[in-house]
Order: sequence, then C-alpha cells, then structure tokens
Amino acid sequence: MSQKPRRNPQQDTEKPHRPSQGTEKSRRGARSHQITFESRTRAWRRHHGQMAVDSLYRLRRRPLSTLMTMLAIAIAMVLPASLWLALGSAQLLDSNLDDTARMTLYLDPALSESQAMDITDQVRGESDIASTELITAAAGLESFQQRLGMSDALAMMEDNPLPATILVQPRSRDPDAAQALAERLGQIEGVTDARLDMAWLERLRQLSELGRRVVLAFGVLFALGVLLVVGNTIRLAVESRRQEIEVVTLIGATHAFVRRPFLYVGVWYGLGGGILALLLLTLGRRWLSAPIDMLASGFGSHFSLPGIGLGGSALLLICSTMLGLVGAWLAVSRHLAEISPR
Amino acid sequence: MAMIEFAHVGKRYGGRFEALADLNFNVERGEMVFLTGHSGAGKSSVLRLLMALERPSRGRIAVAGHDITNLHVSHIPFYRRQIGVVYQNHQLLFDRSVFDNVALPLVIQGATPQDARRRVHAALDKIGLLHRERALPIELSGGEQQRVGIARAVVTKPAMLLADEPTGNLDPQLSADIMRLFEDFNRIGTTVLLASHDLALIARLRHRVLKLRDGRLIGDEEAA
Repeated sequence: MSQKPRRNPQQDTEKPHRPSQGTEKSRRGARSHQITFESRTRAWRRHHGQMAVDSLYRLRRRPLSTLMTMLAIAIAMVLPASLWLALGSAQLLDSNLDDTARMTLYLDPALSESQAMDITDQVRGESDIASTELITAAAGLESFQQRLGMSDALAMMEDNPLPATILVQPRSRDPDAAQALAERLGQIEGVTDARLDMAWLERLRQLSELGRRVVLAFGVLFALGVLLVVGNTIRLAVESRRQEIEVVTLIGATHAFVRRPFLYVGVWYGLGGGILALLLLTLGRRWLSAPIDMLASGFGSHFSLPGIGLGGSALLLICSTMLGLVGAWLAVSRHLAEISPR
Repeated sequence: MAMIEFAHVGKRYGGRFEALADLNFNVERGEMVFLTGHSGAGKSSVLRLLMALERPSRGRIAVAGHDITNLHVSHIPFYRRQIGVVYQNHQLLFDRSVFDNVALPLVIQGATPQDARRRVHAALDKIGLLHRERALPIELSGGEQQRVGIARAVVTKPAMLLADEPTGNLDPQLSADIMRLFEDFNRIGTTVLLASHDLALIARLRHRVLKLRDGRLIGDEEAA
C-alpha cells in the first residue's frame, strides 16, 4: 500500500479556467475542494441529462408495468378530453354566442322601401346601437324562397306576406339593457314589433355553462387520478431504492439531487401517457367517424367529428407531463420529509 | 481551533430515554480519537449528531468552529460534504461498480468526469483496490468492501473522518489493516473520530480514547 500522500489535484495545470482554485494551494492534508459556479452549472446540466436517460432505461427494463402505468394515465386523460371535444363540436364551448341580445324590428308592411330606410337611419341614431341591417320585404322573400325551396307556393301569392325587418345589434351585452332598448325601439313609429330572441340563446348559454362545469369537474377528478397513479408508482420506485436514497443523502446529496431521477420517471410516465391518450383519441375518432358521416349526410349536413388539433395535442401532452412531474414530486417529497433529522 | 466541540450536549429519544447527558469534550484538528463504550453507551448517538442525522436536545455542537446544533435542513447536505463517514456495514450500493460507488460523492458535488476519475483512481490506489474498480461490491470480500467504503469517505478529501465500528465484522488481521489506513489519513492531517468497542485493538494503537457509559463521559485518556 502506498504511503505517499496524494497530491492535491487543485494544483493541476490542466484546468486554467478555474482561477478560484489557485488560491486554495495545497494546505497539507484534508481540504475540501472548491467548485466554481460555472462548473457547478455544467455538473447540474450533466446530472439532468444522465438522470433523464437513466430513468428511461429503468422504465424500459420493465416494459409491461411501464406500459400499464402509462395506459392508466392515458385512460384518465382520454375521458375528459373526449368530453371536451364533444362539447366543442356542439359549439357549446364556443364563445361566439355573443349575439345573445340581437333583436329584430318588424316594420309595418304598408311602408315603402324608402320609408323603411328612414326608420333604419332613425334606429341607427339611437344610443347603444352597434349595427343595424335592413332586410327589405323583397330581400326577405327571396332568402325565404331560397332557403325553403318553396318558390312555387309563394309565387302563387299575390302580395309579399313578409314585412321588412331591421336586425339590430346592441352595443351592450347586458340582457336587461337589451330588453329596455327593445322596448324603446318598439315605440318608434312604423315599427310594429321589436323582438328580442334571447330566450333560447339564454338556455343554450346555460347549457354550455353546465357542459363547461361538467368537463371541469371531470378534468379535476381525472387529473387527481393521474396524480395518484403516478404518485403511487413513484412511491414504489422510491421504496425499492430506499437504501440508495439513504446513502446519497448521507454523503451530502441535496433533496433536489435525490428527487431528480424520480421526477424524470414521472415526466416520462406523463409524457408516455399523454401520447397514448392522443393515440386513443385518434382511434376513437376514426372508429366513430363512419357512422357519424352517414348520420350527418342523412340530414344533408357535412358535419364531422372535430379532431383534437395541434394546439389541443400540445395542451394534452403538457398537462399529462406536468401531472406526472407533480405526482412524482409529491411522492418523493413525502419520503424525504420522513428521513429529515429530528 | 478545535475540530469538534461538544458543550453540555444531551440527547433524549421520545422524551424519556436519555442517550447522552451533559457531554463535554473537544477534538483538536488533526487528532485521532477513539470513542469506546458498551453498546448503548452513546457512541452511535455522538456520531449521528456529528453527521447531522439528529439534533441534540440540549447543548451545543460545533465542527471546525461552525455551530451545527441548529443547522438548517437546506445546509445539511453541504455540511455533510465536508465530512467523510465510514459505516460498519459500509453502505455500498450493490447495483453499481466499485468505481461508481467511490465516485458517488464526487458526482453529488458536481466534479467533472475527468476530475472524478483521477480522484477515484487515487483513492482506490491508496486502499490497494485499483485493480478491482470494475468489480461489483458483491464480488469483494468483507475486508475489501470496507476498504471501498473508506475510499468513498476520503475521495473528497474531507477535513474530518468519522467511523462507526469500521472493523466490527472483520477478523483481527483485517482490522489491523483497516486501522493502519485510518492512521495514514490521520498522518496527512485528517481529523479521525472512530467509534469501536474492540478494546484490544484500541489499546495497541495508542491514541486518545474517550470512554462513554450511559451517555456520560467517564474517561478521557490521552495517547500513551
């Protein structure tokens, strides 16, 4: 056995970029070495890279249990995601329901076209009006014919039974204000009726609010499910590496260092689960699209199921990855708290 | 300046059992000191307090002039990096090679791979196991495993080396070899505090001996 004391490596010349170590010249014997900020950052990045790869290898070593965990995450992600898509396709989540307070003014059928224009100008002069659109009796009839294909029946009538109408878009979105405006506009001479068609829109809005809440509730529940799945799996991983955690903690590993490999495992679980969820969504859409196309064509519509899209996919992956990360964090932190000194 | 200072240190477990009572002693920088006593006398408690695995219930502990009595949790890892610890069961990780085990403290401290390799090789050379760096700990004998544990403790060149019954499982010849290693490190300036109940071995080595009984210091014999 060599009795020669080891040379202090801080004296080595091959590291000229660590000037701070020069001052630490060999005091004889034990002396903890200094590490610069720059090299510490590099070491930090290196450890991240190592742990990212190492945790992947650990997952690959147990393909079946890894796949099952990811599948559990995927299923928990698919349910709220598909509900979201279904609501989106019904456009209930669309916020374009802004014309809630749009109203229609029905004009006296006896009025001439120029009189109708005058009234339109008068309405436009009122306060709180965003826009107006005059639909003359003739234009109304034409669009009516086009839409219903009933030109023959209507052509048999001598007079145009439709009155001229003015579509009014109020500036305010407040239903009460719109109601007041409708009453005010109904007083204008030549206007026989001012109708605010908001009852069904109001119901639709309530329905969409309900849908939104259901999606949110399911989302939160299933997110909790993902946290539990990941947390439980990581807890087992922590358990199986308990001795390793103990040893590295004893020789000066920070909590972040101990946590890192497990966080990466959580991230991979989350990401894998997210990718599987996207796969399931795509498969499900393909499976449902044939009957839906047939159904839609029966109604003369070109409706088709909306896909999740690029943005949606990214959002889903980010969510699942974050859930994996948080689940792992919670599981490891609980263990670390247990081994802190008392 | 003293390396280790214990001032009126007491440690109670669960509010009743008193493991240490009013313990006072200093260990100077560069000293090699044995800590003896029957099992349950408080040797392990002293070491656990020094490793910041536990906090004292009373009194004050300072290491290299720094009060570690109420060390903040976030500072504990950095404190532990300043000390090397050798365990009776050597606490090696059996899923990685001798090299990786010894390199672990350097990885934790963020040494570059080149720097780590040089230091690990130096440490393994010192304990005479450089040729086994690729081996798994399970392939080594008990004495060799303990030497790997020592290499891991000294690879960062700590100012203080703690050892808890490092020869507990070894035969006399191997124990003597291990002790010689500790003496070598002490000779180059490392403070060594070594808990052992192997009185015959201790008597032969002629170092200062702190004797504990029921958590109290009952003897402090200077090196003969």
